[in-house]
Amino acid sequence: MQSMETKRKVTQIAIHIILIIFSFIMLVPFAWMALTAFKSTTEATQVNPFVIFPSQWLTDSFKKVWNNMSFLLLYKNTLLLIFWRVVCAVLTATMAGYGFSRLEFKGRDMMFNLILFQMMIPSQIFLIPQYVMVSNMKMTNTIFALVFPGIVTAFGTFLLKQAYMGLPKDLEEAARMDGCNIFQTFLLIMAPLARSSMVALAIFTAVFAYKDLMWPLVVNTSATKMPLSAALATMQGQYSSNYPDLMAASLIACVPMIVLYLIFQKQFIEGIATSGGKL
Amino acid sequence: MANKSGKAPMTSWEKNQFKWGWIFILPTMIGLIALNIYPIFATVYQSFFKTGDFGRGNIFVGLENYATMVKDAEVWQSLWNTIKYAIIEVPFSICIALVLAVFLNRKMKGRSVYRAIFFLPMIAAPAAVAMVWRWLYNSQFGLLNNLFGIHVEWISNPKIAWISVAVIGVWSILGYNIVLFIAGLQDIPHDYYEAAEIDGASGVAAFFNITLPLLSPTIFFVLITRVIGAMQMFDLVYMVMDRTNPALPKTQSIVYLFYQYSFNFGNKGYGSAIVMLLLAVILIVTVIQNVGQKKWVFYN
Amino acid sequence: MKKRFAAMAMASAMVLSLTPVTGMTTMAADPLQVVIWDSNQQAGIQEICDLFEEETGIPAKVEVKSWDSYWQLLEAGAQGGDLPDVFWMHSNNSQMYMKNDMLLKLDDYIEASDVIDIENYMPEVTELYTWDGSYYAIPKDYDTIALWYNKTMFDEAGLAYPDNTWTWDDLYDAAVALTDKDKGQYGFALNPGNNQDTYYNTVYSMGGYIVSEDHKSSGYDDPNTIKAMEYYGKLLTDACPNPTTMSETGTDVLMSSGTVAMIMQGSWMIAGFLQNEYMCENCDVAILPYDAETGVRTSICNGLGWAASAMTDRPDDCWKLLEWFGSKEMQIKQAELGVTMSAYEGTSDTWVNCTDVFNLQPYLEVAGESQDEGVTNELVLRPYTYNTTVWETAATNAFVEAWADPSKMAEVSTNYAAQMNQYIAQENN
Repeated sequence: MQSMETKRKVTQIAIHIILIIFSFIMLVPFAWMALTAFKSTTEATQVNPFVIFPSQWLTDSFKKVWNNMSFLLLYKNTLLLIFWRVVCAVLTATMAGYGFSRLEFKGRDMMFNLILFQMMIPSQIFLIPQYVMVSNMKMTNTIFALVFPGIVTAFGTFLLKQAYMGLPKDLEEAARMDGCNIFQTFLLIMAPLARSSMVALAIFTAVFAYKDLMWPLVVNTSATKMPLSAALATMQGQYSSNYPDLMAASLIACVPMIVLYLIFQKQFIEGIATSGGKL
Repeated sequence: MANKSGKAPMTSWEKNQFKWGWIFILPTMIGLIALNIYPIFATVYQSFFKTGDFGRGNIFVGLENYATMVKDAEVWQSLWNTIKYAIIEVPFSICIALVLAVFLNRKMKGRSVYRAIFFLPMIAAPAAVAMVWRWLYNSQFGLLNNLFGIHVEWISNPKIAWISVAVIGVWSILGYNIVLFIAGLQDIPHDYYEAAEIDGASGVAAFFNITLPLLSPTIFFVLITRVIGAMQMFDLVYMVMDRTNPALPKTQSIVYLFYQYSFNFGNKGYGSAIVMLLLAVILIVTVIQNVGQKKWVFYN
Repeated sequence: MKKRFAAMAMASAMVLSLTPVTGMTTMAADPLQVVIWDSNQQAGIQEICDLFEEETGIPAKVEVKSWDSYWQLLEAGAQGGDLPDVFWMHSNNSQMYMKNDMLLKLDDYIEASDVIDIENYMPEVTELYTWDGSYYAIPKDYDTIALWYNKTMFDEAGLAYPDNTWTWDDLYDAAVALTDKDKGQYGFALNPGNNQDTYYNTVYSMGGYIVSEDHKSSGYDDPNTIKAMEYYGKLLTDACPNPTTMSETGTDVLMSSGTVAMIMQGSWMIAGFLQNEYMCENCDVAILPYDAETGVRTSICNGLGWAASAMTDRPDDCWKLLEWFGSKEMQIKQAELGVTMSAYEGTSDTWVNCTDVFNLQPYLEVAGESQDEGVTNELVLRPYTYNTTVWETAATNAFVEAWADPSKMAEVSTNYAAQMNQYIAQENN
């Protein structure tokens, strides 16, 4: 019995060691980002001897990029992008998901096949025509342009449809008996029950809106209209090899999202798990 | 599915459903048709044109873009690069994530801390991730070479750069896969493991006999989405590889090439042809996976 | 319950953070949007813009982009009718923008102006921004190339500093002498992207060319061009860091980290180098070498122009700003601030005197009459065609192979000429 106990302990420790090693690998890039950001350019490109910790913790790079890059504006653009993408996606998908799952009507299956079809197509196919549309509307360099491809979501519709399908049918019948029409049934009974999937969709949409790079790069080329992801990407060419500056900017860009994530960690992870697992 | 008998007059309940059904789906369908369905045709259409200055005065050239593409070694090299990237990124990110997810699925101290750390790359801006890795890899001043006292040209040696880029891909996506696997693992009833333990099966045996088969639908799902995701890789090449990097031809992805032609060289016609090739490849890969899944995915 | 609270908290956090900012979108006078691609010049240009605001009350905000995203911004703007108000033009792309009426036509403004007289600017630069006899940009600056060297490394090796007697062979010999691979020190550095600032100069100095004079065909298969490229092949093998290293790290960083002893760089880099401690302490500037056979010393020169959008809704304000940038006072100011040499004739001395840390005279000397017997100084405009970007990018890609294996230099160069001729033939001209 005792040997079993020791064996279990050994396994436990071994598992911890593996997990710690991997945690370390996950954290090193972030740590290096921070350490470089506090160095001077000379120190960052010094090889003999190689410097790991800055000899002086300089904040010059932070000041410089903060002044040059109008981060407040970038945060604002990113937040607006996320906010509108989430609102649009959740709103349209909640409705359409209900229509597809709980109502019988002509044309429904054909339309749903279109949804499935869209999910199979790589999104780059849409990119040029979407760009030309925005461009013809003279709407490039606006928040609208950033949100544009995410106004509706085939994936979200699918996700919400699955969610409604998992709900019991008698709830709806009871509501109908009470004299609710279809819209009231949806709004008062069914939609609230699907809210965990809505939250999941919201989080999924938010994360991917934040990470989206190519579309913002293409459509909002003005430095004041970009979200963080694109602004960071274009910054690299600008400061070429000034790594302390690049790392400082990266850090400034990542920290708010990391803080948000640490606060809402549980929701984040559940949201990703449900939205990913439902497909 | 009761009432599908075509021409019978609709009852008021059916009418009602028809009306509301369409109201519910209309915003999505309008958006979908305008934003996705129409663009598919527009892209196909565009691929038959030579693009004029600033997108004006396009000239119809028929299949010329496709003919050029078929002969364009750069396109095929990029496609091959993309496939090589996927061959590294997908299996490694899935296998490592699977093992870590199984570990994290046990009751143990610090579980949520580990989970939070593994997920961290998911919420970092991709540009930031790419920049810091590029800096870690830098052959002259990078942490990797200087820490281990080696001189490896991680991202500029054409022979290994694609692996270095794929490593970043694995690092970035690991947390996402772990989260999905943990969700899948939690659906496996605990009594299976208890029964196995009574039978004296080791943890490793339980992993292969219980976990893997029962988790196979999740693994299949992750596999298919990761393959599609990997085929569309863009951010890493765009951010990590410079134009003058000798390894660029051996690492640039097909989407990167599409982006270059469409938005940097102003040749949207050729870009469209390239993206049609990507579509074809993804469809083929998806079909193969769907056929193959019957052999190994175990549905309850 | 907890879940719902969290979701609401998140949503309201988002909404709250939006409210204060949405209120302040429009202010009295919107600043003119000025876009440039060189972050080294940002501070100086912004200062000139601030003076403009003091003078006219029209604010102007300078925005910097990287080179690639700059052209993407203009291309997207031209297509969508949303170009920035005022921006730089470059010979690589100017023809395409002028031909398609993307730039504000300046003829009438110039005629009515008592500040701008087009005769005052370097004619080479003016020519770049003239299409069909009309002017589309006010010349901003011009630039030449010089040789940078690390004094400390030369001292350590007991070598004399580069001077006007140097030929390309002298540069090669010194570069080899300064190379100590074990120490990680190299004589020279360049990558396939360093065309204007490096290999173009040698090509023309040795009698070769990149683009024919009628801008219709490639010169990469010219024997003299190949000779110059093979010269670099030799340098690459004997005196440069690994090509992969040079591709990851720009020559300016290799210089300022004390890895290489010499590089060639354009006059536009001064503002950046002045901010680098190591450069200020260890490095200085010499005139480019000449070719012993031809007796020609060539510097590629180029000049940017200040252009305005043809679609701007404030053409008059834009013109006022262009006029301001082009005025003699501001051209002198630009030189004084060390931003770049100005296109206004007779202001170069001001720029040379903007600092005493580096000797900037070589940048100027190469543009003037040669003082050395048997040597001709020659300025060559940066080679361009209707759509330069396309073939220049392709050249960079093509030569990567030759950099990795310098013995292929002639082969790559000849093959590339055919490819480039094809690109030029395809230009919508």
